[in-house]
Amino acid sequence: MKRKYIICGSVVLMGLAGFVSCKKSYLETTPAGQTLEANYYSTPEEIFTGVVAAYDPLVTETGGLNNTYSGPLGPLNAASDDCVAGGGGPTDMSTWQAWNNYTVTPAVGPQGEYWGRNFKGVSRCNIILSKMEPATFLDANTKKRYIAEVKFLRAYYYFWLVRLFKNIPLIVQPLEPQDVYTQLQVAPEAVYAQIEADLNAAIPDLPVTVPTAENGRVTKGAGIALLGKVFLYEKKWTEAAAQLAQVNGTTPGGTTGTYGYKLQTNFGQIFSPDNKFNSESIFELNFTGSQSYSWSNWNQFKSNVYVQMVGPRGYNGPTYWGGWGFSPVMTGLVTAMKTDPRYGYTVANIDSLTKATGTSYEASYQNTGYFIQKYAPLQKYKAPTGTAELNFPNNYIEIRLADTYLMEAEALLQGGGSAARALELLTAVRARVGLTPVPATLQNVYNERRFELATEGHRWFDLVRTGQAATVLASKGYKTGTSDILPIPLQDMQNTQLKQNPGY
Amino acid sequence: MRKKLTFLLFLLVAGITTAMAQNITVKGKVVDQNSQPLPGVSVTVKGTQTGTLTDVGGNYTLNAPSNATLVLSYIGYDTQELAVSGRSSINVTMTEGVKSLNEVVVVGYGTQKKSVVTGSISRVKASDLENQQVTRFDQALQGRTSGVTVVAGSGAPNAAPIIRVRGITSINNTDPLYVIDGVVSLNGGLENLNPNDIESIEVLKDASAAIYGSRSSNGVVLVTTKKGKSGAPTLSYNGYYGTQKATKQFDVVNATQYATLRNQAVTNDGGTAPFANPGQYGTGTNWQDVIFGESAAIQNHNLMVQGGTDASKYYVSFGYLNQQGIVLSDISNFKKYNFTANTSFQPKKWLSVGQNFAYTYTRNQSNFSTNNEFGGPLSSSLNLDPITPILAAQEDLNGTPYTDKPVVKDAQGRPYAISKYVGQEMSNPLAYLETQRGNYGWSHNLLGNAFVEIQPIKGLRLKTQINGKQAFWGSQSYTPLYYLTTQNNNTTNRSASRGSNRNLTWNWDNTISYNRQISKHDFTVLLGTSAQEQSEVGLSGTYNNLPVDDYRKVSFNYALPNENRIASSYEAQPYRVTSIFGRVNYSFDEKYLFTGIIRRDGSSKFGSNNVYGTFPSAQVGWVATREDFFPKNSFVDFLKVRASYGEVGNELSLSTFQYTSVVAGGSNAVFGPGGLVIGNSPQGPQNPNLKWESTKTTDIGFDAVIFKDFNVTVDVYRKLTSGMLQSFNLPGYAGYNGQFFDNIGDLENKGIELEVGYNGKSGDFKYNVSGNISYNKNEVTFLGSRPYIDGGSFQNSSYPLFRTQSGQPVASFYGFQELGTFKSQAEIDAYTLNGTRIQPNAKPGDFKWADNNGNGVIDEGDRTFLGSQLPKWTYGINLRGNYKNFDMMVFGQGVWGNKLFQGYRRLDIATANYSTAALDAWTPQNAGSNYPRLSDLDPNNNFKNPSNFYLQSGAYFRIKTLQLGYTLPTAVLSKIDVKKARIFISSNNLVTITKYDGFDPEIAGSIDRGIYPQARTFMVGLDFTL
Repeated sequence: MKRKYIICGSVVLMGLAGFVSCKKSYLETTPAGQTLEANYYSTPEEIFTGVVAAYDPLVTETGGLNNTYSGPLGPLNAASDDCVAGGGGPTDMSTWQAWNNYTVTPAVGPQGEYWGRNFKGVSRCNIILSKMEPATFLDANTKKRYIAEVKFLRAYYYFWLVRLFKNIPLIVQPLEPQDVYTQLQVAPEAVYAQIEADLNAAIPDLPVTVPTAENGRVTKGAGIALLGKVFLYEKKWTEAAAQLAQVNGTTPGGTTGTYGYKLQTNFGQIFSPDNKFNSESIFELNFTGSQSYSWSNWNQFKSNVYVQMVGPRGYNGPTYWGGWGFSPVMTGLVTAMKTDPRYGYTVANIDSLTKATGTSYEASYQNTGYFIQKYAPLQKYKAPTGTAELNFPNNYIEIRLADTYLMEAEALLQGGGSAARALELLTAVRARVGLTPVPATLQNVYNERRFELATEGHRWFDLVRTGQAATVLASKGYKTGTSDILPIPLQDMQNTQLKQNPGY
Repeated sequence: MRKKLTFLLFLLVAGITTAMAQNITVKGKVVDQNSQPLPGVSVTVKGTQTGTLTDVGGNYTLNAPSNATLVLSYIGYDTQELAVSGRSSINVTMTEGVKSLNEVVVVGYGTQKKSVVTGSISRVKASDLENQQVTRFDQALQGRTSGVTVVAGSGAPNAAPIIRVRGITSINNTDPLYVIDGVVSLNGGLENLNPNDIESIEVLKDASAAIYGSRSSNGVVLVTTKKGKSGAPTLSYNGYYGTQKATKQFDVVNATQYATLRNQAVTNDGGTAPFANPGQYGTGTNWQDVIFGESAAIQNHNLMVQGGTDASKYYVSFGYLNQQGIVLSDISNFKKYNFTANTSFQPKKWLSVGQNFAYTYTRNQSNFSTNNEFGGPLSSSLNLDPITPILAAQEDLNGTPYTDKPVVKDAQGRPYAISKYVGQEMSNPLAYLETQRGNYGWSHNLLGNAFVEIQPIKGLRLKTQINGKQAFWGSQSYTPLYYLTTQNNNTTNRSASRGSNRNLTWNWDNTISYNRQISKHDFTVLLGTSAQEQSEVGLSGTYNNLPVDDYRKVSFNYALPNENRIASSYEAQPYRVTSIFGRVNYSFDEKYLFTGIIRRDGSSKFGSNNVYGTFPSAQVGWVATREDFFPKNSFVDFLKVRASYGEVGNELSLSTFQYTSVVAGGSNAVFGPGGLVIGNSPQGPQNPNLKWESTKTTDIGFDAVIFKDFNVTVDVYRKLTSGMLQSFNLPGYAGYNGQFFDNIGDLENKGIELEVGYNGKSGDFKYNVSGNISYNKNEVTFLGSRPYIDGGSFQNSSYPLFRTQSGQPVASFYGFQELGTFKSQAEIDAYTLNGTRIQPNAKPGDFKWADNNGNGVIDEGDRTFLGSQLPKWTYGINLRGNYKNFDMMVFGQGVWGNKLFQGYRRLDIATANYSTAALDAWTPQNAGSNYPRLSDLDPNNNFKNPSNFYLQSGAYFRIKTLQLGYTLPTAVLSKIDVKKARIFISSNNLVTITKYDGFDPEIAGSIDRGIYPQARTFMVGLDFTL
């Protein structure tokens, strides 16, 4: 019998062991490969990953509220008179098609992509700002620079939002769950005030130049140029001209003293992946072709997917890589630009190329035979590893010197500034491509912007802010009073306090 | 179980040493109704503890007073009392009692006699499983018991079915908890269990599930595997061979009709007809014939050896399954090898030990997408135009892409045709097949457990059991160069990938149970602890630019530059659960019954403010037929009324660390020419209060046996779920990466269930009829501050398909409501609100949309509830008959009261093929049609809007199994020394009655985007026992 009790006792002990294992600490697990937010942001390296995260939405071309292609250029080109939507059919990228036809509804349109991209950016900025401000372990200069970069980025994201949606909630702190559904839209003036405040705070602490390894990070010139552009959109002409003059320098066409900006002599070289961060680039979105992405990396691409999208479908010649036929260039732009020296660098005439070389391509929807050249998928830039479609390295130059020249000229003409300086600026842009001067009139500046910056994503904004959209885009279905902004995405109307934009 | 009871009795007897005066020796033989000896029958002297058991020959010897009364009892037989009256030889014939009541039911950490069970527990026995040729045991639950809804996940080999117990208990995870031989099974892998090794499956449907606490609110499925029985070794075999084929094709148009409809659509949009002479294309290609092909084979073989003595028992089995899929079976097939061995020993009367080991190997090819309109051969077969031939036409071979692209060729080197009309993800299925040959998945699954049980004093049992499951699984794939369509091609890089993963889940259970009878009071008290933990790691690698062009030559030994060799790895987040639980069973004279359960669970998934949850339940029962006042000899042989109430939980829908904010990677940027810079960001807002969902469940029911052979069970239940975990996207402006989780939302399920069974006999014809029917009403009652939750997508539409809203069943179909087509411009002009036309841009043949919000325009506010995807009724019926050596079984099941959404046609591919219904599309010549006019632009959104246009009734009844068997006569068998042999022919899914016009009305998720339909199977099989 004794033995029974021994065994009995040992089983009871095992049972006790079981109870002991119920201790709370047994259940306190720590995540693998991740860190609890409460324990993170405690070293300079961790803070830096948060700053990087604030840059991330800039160069993410997939995602958004509908988890589709969310690059900013495609829809804007489709909405403007530069391009049509194109693609595989009338419903391929239906969000682009809807903007192309001005049939955008809260349910169908590109709004979810812009909204998602830029509010994610805002959120990343708000979070890292709140983590950085109390961080005493951060070197004072590093901290100043990080804060300046993040404030620039927040201003940048809000500038996109206020231009595209006008009526948006203004969130400048990390949003707690209980506050999420109570957010209200604010007047656009309040958003612009926040943008100006952020940029003014950022500019003094931004570096004048960055080393090559940091290319893609914000510089002081970018801050000033963006502030000038913001003023331009606010029609604060004098302030705009003053800011832009700082990056444009005293001698248009020459090198800017402080920042070293200078127009590229070869227009075609501006967009070359071999010539990233050239002297004309003020704010550039940096993509990579070296990550060997495949489809399983969806939402992780830091490559330029739009490049793939604008390539001619099924093209089998040696120059280009076959793309998906989006954003065919409209014949109106082709006709207008045909004799311009920039034409060949702006438009790829695939129709005549294939005919001349005995190669072929497939007509995409709304095919014109003309494709975007600035971001065309060239065989020579096709990545050697990974899925070719997903690894183009081309950058976007969001703000470049020719743009700031023309913006300053416009601000001067609008605000009664120096007409002579305006002429110098306009002439410098034209002279670079071998064109003779034209009088510095507003219309000439607008025309110059159209040719100089075609398909770079500026045209639609320019048409809307200068009041030309109603006439120029009438054939596409533009409706004054409605089409100048996008609707609030349907997803964000649900359970929130947001009010839909007029007309939608 | 019988042996256990025998053993207990043996102990009882052994403890008695008293001898009485005036005793005589009584001998006898106990036989059953068929005069077969019955071993193990308890023979006791009434009013004493004197007794014995019959031996293998049914004989007993006992010393008893000459005036004593003997009590003979045996499980499953009526107890008899016989006066000795001085006789020294008493032979007894035992008669079978009401069998079902003496069944033993597994209740979790123990068993109970069915007659005293107080919970609502459904049971599927081995005999039900044995006659249904299922490849996984969970399929066998379909139609077998009330309250359990089973929907085939897909017709692909080894696809897991979706199982719901008493409706949808949550808007999140509603999978029941599976417990296999007492081991909580967490990660699927249910296919690793050989259905042939299963002794019984019990489903805990009500508060009796509380013994599994925080994981029990979706019901608990308890699986018990076969164990050895004492006796001489027996070897048995069963197996079958069969052929399978799709039962139905979807009616799509032929080539001529296609060209005609395309012309119609384009000209309706003001374009020029693309096909000048539609008649020239004839009937064209039937792509469904291409994918379904010839019939596919299935075979299954099982071999078992078992036996033992009272003190040691063994069971060993081997199983083999090879199933070809009915869709492109070269890349859709499944092989499984099972091995199981379990043993148990009783070295001392008070000590038993045992082990169970199971090994399973599977290999499958099943990696093409099904029920996905964005690709896969099923979707392609429905969307590809019928004009395109299977092999490229001669005149096309000299042009692109056949000359300059790596187009896929057949075995004779002839290129497969690439459609000139339909592109995107839709590709020639045979070409697609060739690109997939090198892809397969595999798994090795090792399951082991061991237990020690001691019984230091009578009635007290202490048991400890350790279980471990080590699963290894992985895949290999090869991507050749191929060109299927403009969008779907790989022209530069041949690559191969290989991945392997392993998961270890262990748990350790300790229980103490004590059973005591004091006169008519019977108590059982159970106390236990349990701890469980799982971990998982995986590794995969890809070789790019492999120098091979054939999947059979793939090797990872090729020397490649480092940049072409890419590896990745992961580990799962840790998950731990600890529990304490207890249960009290009390019965007074098996008449008044009570069960109380309490379980306290701690889980690493719960928020820091709610680490532990407590789950109590109470059940009562009253066996009215045991009351003295209950009329004797009435037609009611047994009547038990029971009621239960309890609180059960659901943490299955939680992931690890949802309660907290975790900073993770993936927020990268690119600085400088060097490439990527790693960025990290919080994944979502935290919620330290996050916890399990709670379901309060009430059940009232009765079990009755009338006329001895007629069983009836009725249950009425109500389940109230509260604090449902909502994983929802915060508005986009919140800008979070991840989702936010909170316990918000209530849900109610109400239902009634009926199970009946009848055993009858008419001469040599014996039969059994059983059936069950369940009604469930599901209603969301509260969703917090949010009026609704949307879900489900329809192609590229941003209108979600489902809406979950208070007052409606979970995830009801939600969309626009078409009221038929406008037959004329006059009807458009007449459709007005306050004099303004509601659809001013509509044309005749466009849908008239209901302006449900009455604002005079058709907009998103006009969407409304269009029906529920949840069936109101589910039922099953089983008929079995035996006539002499022949047996027959018909088993059918069905559902009623649900809707299905059929969205086969890709709307963004204007040239996609049409269903034959489109032949009736509205045209001025066919102005009576309610099928809208064809249009690629679709300005009225006739096709683009998710609407009732796409909905159909999902009701069906299906003859799941029809089987005829013949057992060889004993006279023949004895000559060849075989105990039993039976041959059978059987068919699965022989007949399906439904109005649904798609492949198959059994659709997981209720949206048909081109599902993998279930096969109709014909089989021949053999069972024998040596």
